[in-house]
Amino acid sequence: MTKGFGALTAVRNLSFSLQEGEILGLIGPNGSGKTTLFNVIAGVFRPDSGEVLYRGQSIVHCSPHEICQMGIAKTSQTIQPFSNMRVFENVLVAALYGKNLTMGKAREETARILKFMGLEGLGGEPAGKIPLPLRRRLELSRALATGARVLLLDEVMAGLNPTEIQESLEILKKVRNQGKTLIMVEHVMRAVMGISEQVIVLNHGEKIAEGKPAEVAGNPEVIQAYLGKRYA
Amino acid sequence: MSRQWLKVHLVWLAFLAAGIILSSVPLFVPEGYRLRLLALVFMWVALSGCWNLMSGYTGYIDFGPVAYFGVGSYSTAILMLKGGVPFLPSIFLSGLICAVLSLAIGLPTLRLQGAYFAIATFAVAEALKQGILEGDRLIGLEFFGGAHGLTLPPPPSEAYFYYLMLFFMGLVVGLTALLEKSKFGYGLRAIREAEQAAELSGVPTLKIKIKAYVLSSSLIGCLGGVEAYWLTYIIPDDVFNVLRTIQMVIMTLLGGMGTVLGPVIGASFLTLVSEYLGAKFVYDYLIFVGAVIIVVILLLPRGIMGTLWQGQRWNR
Repeated sequence: MTKGFGALTAVRNLSFSLQEGEILGLIGPNGSGKTTLFNVIAGVFRPDSGEVLYRGQSIVHCSPHEICQMGIAKTSQTIQPFSNMRVFENVLVAALYGKNLTMGKAREETARILKFMGLEGLGGEPAGKIPLPLRRRLELSRALATGARVLLLDEVMAGLNPTEIQESLEILKKVRNQGKTLIMVEHVMRAVMGISEQVIVLNHGEKIAEGKPAEVAGNPEVIQAYLGKRYA
Repeated sequence: MSRQWLKVHLVWLAFLAAGIILSSVPLFVPEGYRLRLLALVFMWVALSGCWNLMSGYTGYIDFGPVAYFGVGSYSTAILMLKGGVPFLPSIFLSGLICAVLSLAIGLPTLRLQGAYFAIATFAVAEALKQGILEGDRLIGLEFFGGAHGLTLPPPPSEAYFYYLMLFFMGLVVGLTALLEKSKFGYGLRAIREAEQAAELSGVPTLKIKIKAYVLSSSLIGCLGGVEAYWLTYIIPDDVFNVLRTIQMVIMTLLGGMGTVLGPVIGASFLTLVSEYLGAKFVYDYLIFVGAVIIVVILLLPRGIMGTLWQGQRWNR
């Protein structure tokens, strides 16, 4: 799959596959194309060439809401809550539309997810007024409420302190135990390395390494991409 | 749960009570200026309510709702004059015509965002006005009446229009209240808050925006038809007047965008204030109306209802 913006090729000839229930970590220096990749999978951008297959079906020509309803949900790195709506209503929208539930069922589902995510006390708060770590959690709740089987998590831990990262990891483990497939873009190495079964490293839009977390961490090319030639 | 239930039922009870009280007004108030003024208030509540339904909830500022008002006026007039269709079916058909037209216009324009959408809709309204002004010369027939306009058959009593406008006001306000807490309403508000996040949460944003636009436009079209018959005389410069658009926008802004009662309060307030000032200061009342609007917006930037709602501090 390839995607470029004008003269810049953000993702070049990238190819990978993923089994259901797996956790894939996606790492790489800034500007290596991780977010672009997510946007292509979620249908925000159309790739210049290549295919995205979900359960054997091509989804490159689907719009984001169709892809979401099929079962792939994305959280955004720059969190985008429906700020003037309550926390409960934020999640409700996803349950109503992503999972296509009726109002009564969606309310039950929303209450269940808020409880699961530990946000049940905040349902009535406006989403724009809660602190950042909780807003990140809300973003994840919304993705979960769409009923997606595959979650694309774009830096759900950015800006969190160590305690909050730990909490976030616990939540992700619980989510995985529900049988969800996760693809995580993350700069917090402890998080990626601790939870991923497989890691892909991108640099300048190309895949430079792939494998188990420990293997990848020792790969000279990866070290070079992050720290420069001298350390490789 | 029971408190919520009670609250919902109280709202509908209040709605019903207001309906009954307002329907009995013509029994006590004689035909004439006061009844006419009330009907005018209802019309503006309905019109700004339609605008609010689309722009207030989605955040897409429609600057051309008057296009459908004008088209509704003209199609009602033409259906009655040339087609011999009775009045009520005519306004219904006008609504239908506006629905089709707004679908055709909404499909391309609702992909635009922010100011571009506002400019596009404004241009559509102006283009339609010119089209009707010059239409006769273009097709070489006496059809739209050009700048001379059209004269409709003589209308029935004032009370007739009072009830019609009351009906449309009730329809628009009731519909807004119903939609606000529905799946559709949540979709619209999600679009206003963060369109891309809505799309990524499974909301078919374009489809929903078009639904709201078509609904709002066809109701505006019906109202255009009612006013045409009420005034019996229409010209393009009046029924397509951009001031009507501005009035819908300002009334909603005054009352509070994206609230059920916003347009009710904003439109009643502004119509009555400009009527009062218009009688007091015949020549320069618009200056005072402008001053009132500026004061209200400075004091209550989120509109009258919006400020009240914020004041509640998100209580359930």
